Amino acid sequence: MLLMATSMVLPVAVSLHYGDGAQYGLLVSGVIIAGAGLFMRNLLGHNATYEMQERESFWITSVVWLVVPLCGAIPYLFTGVLEDFTDAVFESVSGFTTTGSSVIIRPEGVPQGILVWRAITQWIGGLGLILFVIALQRRLSRGAQKLYSAEFSGTQQRKLHPHIARSVSRMWNIYTLITLVLIALLLLAGNTTLDSFCLALSTVSTGGFTTTQFGMSGFSDLTLTILTVFMFLSGVNVALLYNFFTLKWRRFKVNQEFLFYVVLFLFASLSCFVAFSVANGGFSVANLQFSFFHIASTISTCGFYTDSPAVWPLWPAVLTFVLILSGACAGSTGGGIKLRRLMTLFLYLRNYLTRMVHPNVVFTVKIDHKKVPGEYVNKIFGFIFLYICFIIGGAFLLTCCGSSIHEAFCLAASNISNLGPSPLINSLGASLDYAMMPVLSKWVLVILMLVGRLEIFALLAIVSPSYWKHK
Amino acid sequence: MKSSDIKAVHRFIGTYLIAEGGLMALCLIPALHFGDGTALPITLSAMFTLAIGVLLRQRYKAFHTIEDRRIAYLLVVMIWVVMSLFATLPFLTTGSTTSFTAAWFESMSGVTSCGATVFPEVGTLPASVLLWRSMTQWFGGYGIVLIVLALTPRLGINKFALYSAEASGADNTGRNTVRTVVTVRRTLAVYLTLTLAFIVALYLSGMQLWDAVNLTFTNISSGGFSVNTDSIASVTPLQQYILAAAMFFSGMNFTMLFLLFTFRWKQLGHKFDQLRAYIAVYLLAAAFVTIGLHWHSGIAWGDSIRLGVVQTVSALTTTGSVVADYTLWWTPLTFLLLMLAISGGMAGSTSGGLKIMRVLILLRNARAILRNRLHPNVVNPVRLNGKPISGHLANNVMVIFIVFGASLMLGVMGLMLCGVNPSESIGASVGCLTGYGPGLGASGGFGSYAHFPPAALWFSSFLMLMGRLECMTLIVLLLPRFWRR
Repeated sequence: MLLMATSMVLPVAVSLHYGDGAQYGLLVSGVIIAGAGLFMRNLLGHNATYEMQERESFWITSVVWLVVPLCGAIPYLFTGVLEDFTDAVFESVSGFTTTGSSVIIRPEGVPQGILVWRAITQWIGGLGLILFVIALQRRLSRGAQKLYSAEFSGTQQRKLHPHIARSVSRMWNIYTLITLVLIALLLLAGNTTLDSFCLALSTVSTGGFTTTQFGMSGFSDLTLTILTVFMFLSGVNVALLYNFFTLKWRRFKVNQEFLFYVVLFLFASLSCFVAFSVANGGFSVANLQFSFFHIASTISTCGFYTDSPAVWPLWPAVLTFVLILSGACAGSTGGGIKLRRLMTLFLYLRNYLTRMVHPNVVFTVKIDHKKVPGEYVNKIFGFIFLYICFIIGGAFLLTCCGSSIHEAFCLAASNISNLGPSPLINSLGASLDYAMMPVLSKWVLVILMLVGRLEIFALLAIVSPSYWKHK
Repeated sequence: MKSSDIKAVHRFIGTYLIAEGGLMALCLIPALHFGDGTALPITLSAMFTLAIGVLLRQRYKAFHTIEDRRIAYLLVVMIWVVMSLFATLPFLTTGSTTSFTAAWFESMSGVTSCGATVFPEVGTLPASVLLWRSMTQWFGGYGIVLIVLALTPRLGINKFALYSAEASGADNTGRNTVRTVVTVRRTLAVYLTLTLAFIVALYLSGMQLWDAVNLTFTNISSGGFSVNTDSIASVTPLQQYILAAAMFFSGMNFTMLFLLFTFRWKQLGHKFDQLRAYIAVYLLAAAFVTIGLHWHSGIAWGDSIRLGVVQTVSALTTTGSVVADYTLWWTPLTFLLLMLAISGGMAGSTSGGLKIMRVLILLRNARAILRNRLHPNVVNPVRLNGKPISGHLANNVMVIFIVFGASLMLGVMGLMLCGVNPSESIGASVGCLTGYGPGLGASGGFGSYAHFPPAALWFSSFLMLMGRLECMTLIVLLLPRFWRR
């Protein structure tokens, strides 16, 4: 079965990439992971011929996302960069979920192989997410559930089943292409090979691991500008990018979510620019650049940070918090609630308010001129409810470990939306020093990252009693 | 907009202004009894309020029915705003505060039965003003609309539209005009009985009559004002437990209480889901707080049980009476109290927040969605009291949840923009929107909102109104399309 195969691609791909790490420890762990991957593939390959059901797909998705990060932790332990098991898992999960929260305080001090490995985990994580979404979409679209297929307007809308392999390869191609272009551009901008490679992988996957202690502040303006553009791109639905690059303009045009994304991005950046300029005395190019960089980093849940202006006015802080939760387009590598859901919500809310005044009017929610069934609206509501529940629950556990209330909320929100570090959180006075956190806090954040990445339901499904009841 | 609608609004507002003036006049009793020299200003305030009320009421003698739903929503909001406006009179005329902003904040906190105060030293206020604060909560806690409806059942207003605007949401099934009147009468009977009973109980436990009246007024209404600066921390443990019982009742559905008290248990049928959830949440939270206080902070069992029992019920029913400075407790405990305030008591009670009923529906709906993802072909209805609820109702609850959550977030951000620090913004936003009252930091515990900048005070009072009207009523007014034909 294809999904099995694709899921097994992850560990195999992991192992293939090990040539990069010159360290002995990396090689050993590479061999172990490759062995485990092959073993699992052989073991499972025999059973993988039957048609997959909901249950199995949840199971596989969750297991893949639990096992792969565990394997990913091995190199950190073997090379001795992180001695604590919790730290290693935290770093690995943070990579695979494209969050970018790091317990490595000084990335300059660790072997370069590890830096590359961190970047690769993010890249695979971002890719894995896309594959996961496609796989999900393929099956969901069979029934009445059309939301995901609506998200992936175009490419897979035709006969889906025979095309799944081709769709996957297209996604993969576009993802790789963007990465390669970005690496090339960064090299041209005068960065070292290592920096270019790591940053490109971090950006495209909206991860956010960096190669220096001080975030992005040591890099040239040109580099930051390039990254801004690519962070923005990585927040766009991948299928949309495919249509864009293959010049299928007609399909590209109709997507309302993208328009909303662009408008939101421009509005947020420009208003931040004005706010920063007013607060820091005078309009300057540096402020403009920072505003765009910061908003792109936040909205795509990438989580790079650079030198922020001296005075941090409240409006950007407020805006940042909203954007952390909203995230980018559905079907991108970014995290968060996703703009499409929020759009549906707003439209429904507007109808609801109108109905309060005119009770007999019938409305439908339409996105891209397609009706969204009421059942879907309910699901989106349910999703957001659970999302908020997890933030509250996570924040509660974090307070048990000694965080203050607003610190806990910031940490929970930025990790469940896979953002990672953000200058906002610093400006609120919360500590970003993940390395110093209690062990329990780290595990709470690990769970939040996974929950956010898997969009809650998959992980919740396998721990729910009713999953195990009906065998 | 019909002229008959406008007449009805005038008449309606006139009626309750008369009632408000009457209550204000009652504050003369402590003014004269304690001789604190506020008799004249109170008399003037009461007479002014009464005069405006009579004027409005006399202008249109005939009864009119409100036909436009928009007017009904507008009226509900106007009632709270005008009520709060006139409630500022005693504060201003007696010189308790010279700032209109502070007086407005205090009045709004009173009529929405929120309980946040701008007076750092409540104990120094004149007795008449103290009684007035308690009175606004007692009056507002039950819902001005309901009181007026009960007193004048034939006022000639479309009661259903109004009642649903007031208590929109979870429990809207099978209600009609006739039943509304019955409901209002019954609940009022319960309210008055409970008030009397607790005054007597507190008096018998050795409290001064003055304290007993004030504390009962503020606790039975989920309000939370006190006549002492240290809220209810200085009364005896027995009295604290009695007040906890009052708060517990204030978080229960009053129709349910009526049926329970009159032994009509059969009429309740199987409608125990909400009650069960309410009790379960309360017991679990109280146990957690008690154990947390004992194990983490090393407080003796007796005290930690008392603090846990009283402060938890105060948070869950969004009363906001403070028995100990909970902001100094172990952080998860403080956090839990805020979350309880967001959940709130039962639908149809005086408490604020989301209401347990909605939380229950939200959780069950999430479970149904999850099951649906696992087994797409199985029908998973959301059940309440054993009966499946419509998808429409589930969505309504979701909408209120989302809007409430968004308001909470906007509240935090708005307060930060007004210059309040992050932690206090969270506390104040929760405190004002849910009607709990005190928040975190200097505005939490025994503290006050005195140090808030004026903009933050205005914004907080807006949040109180928003929370009290369950967001939707106010938001619908802010829509441009609301005013279009």
